[in-house]
Amino acid sequence: MKSKLYPFFVGLVFVLLSYGTYQGLIGAPTEETMGDAQRIFYYHVPAATVAYTLFFVNFLASIIVLWKRSATADAWALTAAEVGVVFATVVLITGPIWARYAWGAWWVWDMRLTTFLILWLLYVSYLTLRRSSEGGSASVLASALAIFAFLDVPFSYMANQWFRTNHPQRVIGTGNLDPRMGYALMANMIAFLAFGALIAWFRYELEVTERKISAIHVQRAARGVLAGLALPALFLFQAPQHASPTTYMYSAYIAAWVIYIGYLLFLTRKVAKLKREEQELTRVG
Amino acid sequence: MSSSILKLTAANVAKDLRLEWRSRDVLNSMLFFAVLVVVIFSFAFDPTAEESRRMAGGLFWVAFLFSTVVALNQSWARELRNGVLDAYRVSPSAPESLFFGKCLGNFIFVAVLECIMVPLFVLFYNLSSVGPLWQLAVVLFLGTWALVINGTFFAAMSIRTRNRELMLPLLLLPISIPAVLTMVGATTGVLTGESSPVPQIKFLAVYCVVFTTVCFLLFETVLNAE
Repeated sequence: MKSKLYPFFVGLVFVLLSYGTYQGLIGAPTEETMGDAQRIFYYHVPAATVAYTLFFVNFLASIIVLWKRSATADAWALTAAEVGVVFATVVLITGPIWARYAWGAWWVWDMRLTTFLILWLLYVSYLTLRRSSEGGSASVLASALAIFAFLDVPFSYMANQWFRTNHPQRVIGTGNLDPRMGYALMANMIAFLAFGALIAWFRYELEVTERKISAIHVQRAARGVLAGLALPALFLFQAPQHASPTTYMYSAYIAAWVIYIGYLLFLTRKVAKLKREEQELTRVG
Repeated sequence: MSSSILKLTAANVAKDLRLEWRSRDVLNSMLFFAVLVVVIFSFAFDPTAEESRRMAGGLFWVAFLFSTVVALNQSWARELRNGVLDAYRVSPSAPESLFFGKCLGNFIFVAVLECIMVPLFVLFYNLSSVGPLWQLAVVLFLGTWALVINGTFFAAMSIRTRNRELMLPLLLLPISIPAVLTMVGATTGVLTGESSPVPQIKFLAVYCVVFTTVCFLLFETVLNAE
């Protein structure tokens, strides 16, 4: 927040996201069978990439915490996990909306779906542990859990091979992607990676400030955001044929942004709260 | 050195078993809980013999997972009350032996529970296996170890948090999902005789080895986390 680069970075992310959205909505050609519903892809895949990247950052930071007991690494571990959960939530919301149109079902126990859900559960349990443990033990316990969580992912991927593999459809596009679609995907990929980095940076600065003030009652985990999720999807609770693919596309885009903006609002509220506490502290001091 | 670790482990197991024999806290509550789960499930589903073969694997392991959580919550609480953990931290003995002793103790409790629950399941659900029974025994052994090793570790972790009993299932269940999926798959495979459980058994073995190693590596950190 204090860095001079910050406003510049915000501007850059804004431009990248606008360009990515333009490419995704208008620039890329419409897919033949799925129509506009396929455009959800440009939001879904980048969000998943960002989530995976952040969980990997969390894993690395946790190892550093156990090794060096570094407070900086600990702040990064928490930041990465929390922002990662937000992006993973977007993946889990936009995915079913697309699936409802393409497969006619919100959810199938496909390998990738199940592993991603388990991944999400693992990091939510990580955030819950951080919330309920106190003092210096929090970072060590959470780091141990983070290592377990990261190890668990390949296992759940394997476990699904023998369990409910009725839907082998690949969600991720393979080599036979139209180059213009590939371009739109790349534009969104870069935009969302930058967006993820920006939120993580923001959240990290916030964490550092928070630790300085050492507020006792802090609220973590992306609650509240969940309440907004169901709304855009509500009108899709009918037979898939009744709604046009464009409706699906918009509901997924709206749902994704409800989550991102909801999380940002949550962070902003936190900033306001911290500022108030800081003022009170200086008044007392 | 290794003989002293084994001796300490044996001492820990003996202590746990003796305490349990005198109080019977864990076994009684765990057993009753498991019986309740079995009875409620059989009311809720009321399956025919053919259906029950398909469902029993899932029901059995779910009932089991919950009763294990009940038992594990108790296992460290006793040590915390009596300050054993602090004593262990200042003693020169290896923390691994404490952990290993706890795991073995819990494994024995859960194994006793299994010996009582398996006949109950057979009785309530009219079960008869199509596949060979020795494979079921292997799945039971590996599955129990997978649950107990992670469970003991995460119970040690969750007693350090504010809401102790509540934390254990929240931490243990997500981590155990792959193991549970495989156990259920293997058990259903044997009971229905439709698929060979050998790949799942191999997977469970790898899972046990990996998570046992990680638990041993990280236990000291968790014990000393302050």
